[in-house]
Amino acid sequence: MKIMRLGIIISLIIGLLLTGCSNSSNKTSAGNITNPIEKSWETILDEAKGTTVSFYGWGGDELTNSWIDNYVAQNMQELYGIKVNRVPMGPDEYLNKLLGEKQAGKAKGTIDLLWINGENFRTARQADLLWGPFAEDLPNFQKYVDQDALDIAYDFGYPVEGYEVPWGKAQFVFAYDSAKIQNPPKSSAELLAWVKENPGRFTYPELPDFTGSVFVRHLMYELCGGYESFPYTEEVDKTAMETQLEPLWDYFTDMKSYLWREGTTYPATISALHQLFQDGEVDITMTYIPALMSSMIEQGLVPDTVRTYVWDKGTIGNTHFLAIPFNAPNREAAKVLADFLLSPAAQLSKYEPVNWGDLIALDVSKLESESVAKLESMDQGVATLSSEELQSHSLPEIASGYIPVIEELWKKRVVQNAK
Amino acid sequence: MLSKFVSRDTLKGYLYLAPALAVILFFFLGGFLIAFVQSLGYFPVIGMEEFTLKYYKEVFQNPEFLESLQYTLHISFISTAIATVFGTALAYFFLKTTPHNPLFHFIHKVPIAVPHLVAALMIVFILSQGGIISRLFVKVGWITETADFPAIFYTQNAIGIILIYIWKEVPFVTLMVYTVMKNIHTKLGEAAATLKASQLQVFCHVILPLSMPSIVSASAIIFAFSFGAFEIPFLLGATYPKTLPVWAYLNFISVDLSARPLAMVINMLVSLVCTVLIFIYYLSMRKYLRKWS
Amino acid sequence: MKNLKTLRAIINLMILMVIVVPFLVLVVWSFSQGWPTNALFPKEWGLRGWSYLFSPESKMLSSIATSTLISLTVTVLAILLSIPAGKALGVYEFKGKKVVEIIVLAPLIIPTITVGMGIQIVFIRYGLTDTLLGVILVHLPIVLPYGIRIFASSYKAMGIKWEEQAQVLKAKPWQRFWYATLPFLYPGIISAGVLMFNVSFSQYFLTYLIGGGKILTLPILLFPFVNSGDRVIASGLGLVIVAVSVAFMVIVEKIISSPEQETNFYYL
Repeated sequence: MKIMRLGIIISLIIGLLLTGCSNSSNKTSAGNITNPIEKSWETILDEAKGTTVSFYGWGGDELTNSWIDNYVAQNMQELYGIKVNRVPMGPDEYLNKLLGEKQAGKAKGTIDLLWINGENFRTARQADLLWGPFAEDLPNFQKYVDQDALDIAYDFGYPVEGYEVPWGKAQFVFAYDSAKIQNPPKSSAELLAWVKENPGRFTYPELPDFTGSVFVRHLMYELCGGYESFPYTEEVDKTAMETQLEPLWDYFTDMKSYLWREGTTYPATISALHQLFQDGEVDITMTYIPALMSSMIEQGLVPDTVRTYVWDKGTIGNTHFLAIPFNAPNREAAKVLADFLLSPAAQLSKYEPVNWGDLIALDVSKLESESVAKLESMDQGVATLSSEELQSHSLPEIASGYIPVIEELWKKRVVQNAK
Repeated sequence: MLSKFVSRDTLKGYLYLAPALAVILFFFLGGFLIAFVQSLGYFPVIGMEEFTLKYYKEVFQNPEFLESLQYTLHISFISTAIATVFGTALAYFFLKTTPHNPLFHFIHKVPIAVPHLVAALMIVFILSQGGIISRLFVKVGWITETADFPAIFYTQNAIGIILIYIWKEVPFVTLMVYTVMKNIHTKLGEAAATLKASQLQVFCHVILPLSMPSIVSASAIIFAFSFGAFEIPFLLGATYPKTLPVWAYLNFISVDLSARPLAMVINMLVSLVCTVLIFIYYLSMRKYLRKWS
Repeated sequence: MKNLKTLRAIINLMILMVIVVPFLVLVVWSFSQGWPTNALFPKEWGLRGWSYLFSPESKMLSSIATSTLISLTVTVLAILLSIPAGKALGVYEFKGKKVVEIIVLAPLIIPTITVGMGIQIVFIRYGLTDTLLGVILVHLPIVLPYGIRIFASSYKAMGIKWEEQAQVLKAKPWQRFWYATLPFLYPGIISAGVLMFNVSFSQYFLTYLIGGGKILTLPILLFPFVNSGDRVIASGLGLVIVAVSVAFMVIVEKIISSPEQETNFYYL
């Protein structure tokens, strides 16, 4: 009796909830029907005035957060009367949220603008989660961006096609304390030798952390034939990849027991690695933000003897972008915000190490002379490499399709130690 | 009409229960059932409409599953056992000793008001390799550098996570058990005293058995909590293995939607293992629970 | 006898240490500026963390309001729902009671992550994600078992004699409840209230999943700082969170209830 009653209740609930869900799949979301109508920029500014724009992105860096909440929010309010609501949410979570909303047929979402790049952009495009193309609608994109540059027309090998606009550039650097180390290791071979001499003093963030993942790609470039050996493909062959990366697995096997905590565990995020570096548990850290160490010195978080460096054969650089989701409730304001973030003023402000130190996404040759002068006069901090040195050591990214495969294989071969 | 078949009490009972029960059925068990249905691969919104057990098979065949289960059990068994013993002992200690000092009573309740995230932060500051104690040891000269301090976070021994749970849960157990012990004490304590029973006898034959129901339910609650908890192992767990809830979450947020049934399978297994273990626990404790009524 | 006294004092002291020292460490961290490796104390002191937290961009103050609003609403609703439910389980005997008791226990046993991941899609469908209402609805079943079980014990202990006696005196139903029953429930309301408020207040996962990062409660605000390792800001924020929830406990236990009243009624 009791069980029957329970059964009836349960099936009623299932029925109710599931019919609720499946009805929705028949609805077409309005976001897909409306075409990006040609509107003049003035109309867009007009419509966006007095509204709020929700900007979603990774929120783990206080400096970045403060810059958006202060400089960006204030200027957007003063210039365009738009309120900026920054929501700290990483790509994994917001993509999942958008996927859920897409499945449930929610035509009016909550996110207006995304901070995105790489494999996340690819996933978003493949699942049709982005609205666009919109890049050409933005005056500052037209005026200042080198639209044909490889790192702007392609995001990790995936064609951008106007579905995102470049916001900034990053280049990977290593960091060390010059008071402790004289000659930091500048290649995979030197690193291995250094790690063996200094057991327990090096580690890297566990994949799929963004920085940990790019660190592994540097080794891959050196050990498995350079980025040319990983051409763009639609479908990555997992087994072939595993074999191709055999030298990389050997390298890790060799290195593992000399890592921090004998390689039994890795810091879960790049921030955790910085923490270990600050606490003096490891001697080398790494970052995608070339000016980060300078600003950390400024804040008193690391000693002022910390310096950054690149490997002899270069380090990977990439571009990060802005995109608008398919169900953005306030596209106009999203465009205005994206356009503002691309303005020379905002880009220069972002480039200052005290604000963030993120590299400029604009084509410097297209900038007005006063902007160029300001750019050149800017002090990038003691620990930051010159832009010439960074540029001459910049390596391209490989196609984003490889990245989840590498991460999966890393877990299998390096962490689980299985073949 | 209805009252002919249904007693007045039944009617009243269900009437009073209806609102609370509705909330639990819809917003809790409803979610559970959707998770269950998705674990069978039925996810109509993305066009998966066939029921299948293949995701269960996939999880069972993954060597990560057993290691993950073991890691999760390791954390929740040890933390629950220690928190229960300490919590009960403290409850008895308070019963016997503490003068009615309201401030003291209040302070020992404070950890209940501290969210796990904050507790984690504090305990990391104290016990990690970069923590206060490690620095103190270096100063005193017991270890030469902080890296020599035993590692308890991000490790497979999970000692750090266990300590955080113990810190949070001992006061919870104490509070629940103390409430009951105090009640027993006022009711039976004098009777036992007049019978000239020794303290130990009173504890073993009166207080402990009568408090058993609350000890059992307190420990069951904290076991279930630590078994299904997400934040702390997510932040402070080892690279491998992950606890089952963290593993489920990582599959859930995977942008590959076909990993979602896997997340739900892991979720179902977490719920199943937890329910079965608590059921066995109640059964084995049944003889103590009966005395209460 | 004297030995016993010292032993008690030592145990009391140890308990105090274990509870209080962590907070002191948090305070020190929140005021630190540079804290070099191996140094026992910070090299420099500063207000970087606190000035960030009290600037509008940290959103701390608005999160305090959001968190308090959510947890208070959840607590009040849960008390209103669990008093009658507790009465049904504590006083009446009816068919299916055992089943109901198991259903009521379910939220304590089945992990919230399971339910959260399952229900998210339905909440998206009905527009409940990213809303206060959605977060409140998903917190409610998590806290209800505490209330229902505590009130069931209250009613069991009291029986319905009092209400019946009042009935003989021809009191109206609300008078019966207000004057005869409520005083008995009082310790239960305090205990259940404190417990449920805390459970809701420290909830991270469900708030994040259903609130979508848009409903910014204190644990949601704290998580990225713990995760990113900005210890100075995390410490300050952690202290603020504890201060708010301890303030709630103090208000409820010391101000709302009268000092003679027994407020420990944690019969779960």
